[in-house]
Amino acid sequence: MEIVVCVKPVPEADTRLRATADGRGLDPENVKFVLAGYDESAVEQALLLKEAVPGSKVRVVSTGPAPRTEEVLRAAIALGCDEAIWAEAPAETVADPVAAARRLAVAVRAVPHDLVLCGKQAGDDESGLVAGALGELLEIPDFGFVTDLRWDAASARFRFRRAAEAGTEHWECATPVVIGLQQAWNDPRTAKLPAILKSRKAPIARSPAPSLPDDAPRSVPERFSLPAPRTGAKMIEYKTPEDAATQLVRILREEAKVFP
Amino acid sequence: MPDFSLTPEQESLRDAARKFARTEMAPHAAECDRTGRFPEEVYRKAYDLGLMNLNVPTEHGGSGLGLFEQCLIVEELAHGCGGMTTSIIANCLALEPIILGGSPEQQTRLLDPFCAQYQLASFCLTEPSGGSDAGGLSTRARRSGDEYVLDGEKCFITNAPHASLYTVFATIDPALHHRGITAFAVPRSTPGVTPGPDEDKMGHRASSTSTVRFEGARVPVANRLGPEGEGFSLAMRTLDQTRTPIGALATGIAQAALDHAAKYALERRTFGKPIGEHQAIQIKLANMAQAVRAARLLTWYSAWTIAGGAKGTLESSIAKCFASDTALHVADEAIQTFGGYGYMRAYPVEKLLRDAKLTQIYEGANEIQRTVIARELLREYA
Ligand SMILES: Cc1cc2nc3c(=O)[nH]c(=O)nc-3n(C[C@H](O)[C@H](O)[C@H](O)COP(=O)(O)OP(=O)(O)OC[C@H]3O[C@@H](n4cnc5c(N)ncnc54)[C@H](O)[C@@H]3O)c2cc1C
Repeated sequence: MEIVVCVKPVPEADTRLRATADGRGLDPENVKFVLAGYDESAVEQALLLKEAVPGSKVRVVSTGPAPRTEEVLRAAIALGCDEAIWAEAPAETVADPVAAARRLAVAVRAVPHDLVLCGKQAGDDESGLVAGALGELLEIPDFGFVTDLRWDAASARFRFRRAAEAGTEHWECATPVVIGLQQAWNDPRTAKLPAILKSRKAPIARSPAPSLPDDAPRSVPERFSLPAPRTGAKMIEYKTPEDAATQLVRILREEAKVFP
Repeated sequence: MPDFSLTPEQESLRDAARKFARTEMAPHAAECDRTGRFPEEVYRKAYDLGLMNLNVPTEHGGSGLGLFEQCLIVEELAHGCGGMTTSIIANCLALEPIILGGSPEQQTRLLDPFCAQYQLASFCLTEPSGGSDAGGLSTRARRSGDEYVLDGEKCFITNAPHASLYTVFATIDPALHHRGITAFAVPRSTPGVTPGPDEDKMGHRASSTSTVRFEGARVPVANRLGPEGEGFSLAMRTLDQTRTPIGALATGIAQAALDHAAKYALERRTFGKPIGEHQAIQIKLANMAQAVRAARLLTWYSAWTIAGGAKGTLESSIAKCFASDTALHVADEAIQTFGGYGYMRAYPVEKLLRDAKLTQIYEGANEIQRTVIARELLREYA
């Protein structure tokens, strides 16, 4: 099975974020970019399917600027992906999910693909649009929020589930298909040191930008701001739990006026 | 120009160790410290990821890393838990005599099956009658045909209750003093080899430490590492390699203490402002940060020197001694920054002080390090 996983470099979870000077984007200085949780799951699922279906190959694709994009591609190689493909693009351009999907689609179209896997949404902007846009651009079916993705060799179809509002949808689908994955069969694996070292030397193929006349991003970020720091937190100093509770009730009643 | 930047390889090794420390070690550190539990599942995962036999060449199934890379990893692991790190890197210490002193046949026979699965090894040098005076050890090795018979007792041996292989230093004749010392690789399954019960320790409580008794334990001559009488030199050459990572381990503990103290200084308010705005606390944090950086740079310098082929006795003693003194001092200052909370077991900093203390004692107590430093130093002036 020819599998392509699309991943996005996103800031590591406990990063201290800052806006750029023009206020339109994220200042990448001192930010470490990593594979986010949903993308890790997508990679994990790709590797599990590769292990389950002999003769499979997993290619990992990403779009974005250096060096962050190269870093996540190498991280995916260290986990066990066979080849990496990079569609270089400025961060501002691929901030638009459809512009990102166009670049990914060029890369995907250039390689065999029975299954195109994405995380159900990106770990940073959580737009959740890329899988859908990819399906549209590649003119193949796409599904989001997928769990329990299985390959049924007998019928040569994928079977999977989607959580719906009032129950669970059970689907089957022929290849090729784009899947926005909610969850892999198990927790994502961790790369081993020898594989990490090897991944540093792995070749990374380049994918060209789309040659469309209207390739400019349709949306551009206007302003990037961080939540205002929370104020007014109050630490209760106490000796016993009873003391803490008494003080808390007093504060809720007299200061916060939560109840009379 | 000296260059302090890390290569992409080094950065990714450090990041992998950092992630492991944060996600697999730190969450269990307080519990293991309280109960003294030996978190085997953490050690197995460390093995699976290649964090365990860091110094063993890849052709024998290890990670084959240089000393500098080992130090980067050890510092990160120690940030997660000092005690777990001691147990994770004990294999490096125990296997180093085989790497340095074993014949190619011994390396293949001993290292390959050992590294092919999760197993622990222990370095058995210290004896109840004394650790610092290693040349005067009294465990006997008597030749009997194509075997040696070992009799004696070792103490304070890391991982001994869980290890399947011991590297043992014994004397063929106590009258020869250090010239009688000979090294052996001894499988735990050898009849007459008995580890004692786990010691109850002040710190590094996730690690396991015990005595090992040898009573008529018969070891084939094929398991002697190097010639008779060369064991002392082999032990010293081993410690020249492993002392620097102890500096890195101490630096990791110190960095953790600084991190906790700085975060707390931003949160805790007294007299209407965060304590980090009081100059007394600022000076404390500034001094802690200087010491931690100095410890790291001395460790890096030592590792760089040794990786370049130097023996590094002086530099590694300086790094180990300075970093371990720093760890104790910085952990102490972190507790002071936390005030009364720092003294409570519910907060993470008092553990760091207890963990830091060991780094001044093991792999050569700091008094011995200073003796070595002075000796090497005075030689330069003589
Ligand atoms: C948790 C733990 C784990 C350990 N793991 C291992 C292990 O895996 N393998 C192993 O072989 N050992 C291990 N050790 C032993 C450790 O290396 C020794 O404890 C250490 O070398 C000191 O030896 P000692 O305890 O016998 O102290 P002693 O040698 O009795 O020293 C007592 C004090 O006297 C000082 N002193 C001694 N001689 C001199 C001198 N000439 N000049 C000035 N001061 C001196 C020492 O510095 C120390 O302060 C471990 C110890 C601990 C606590």
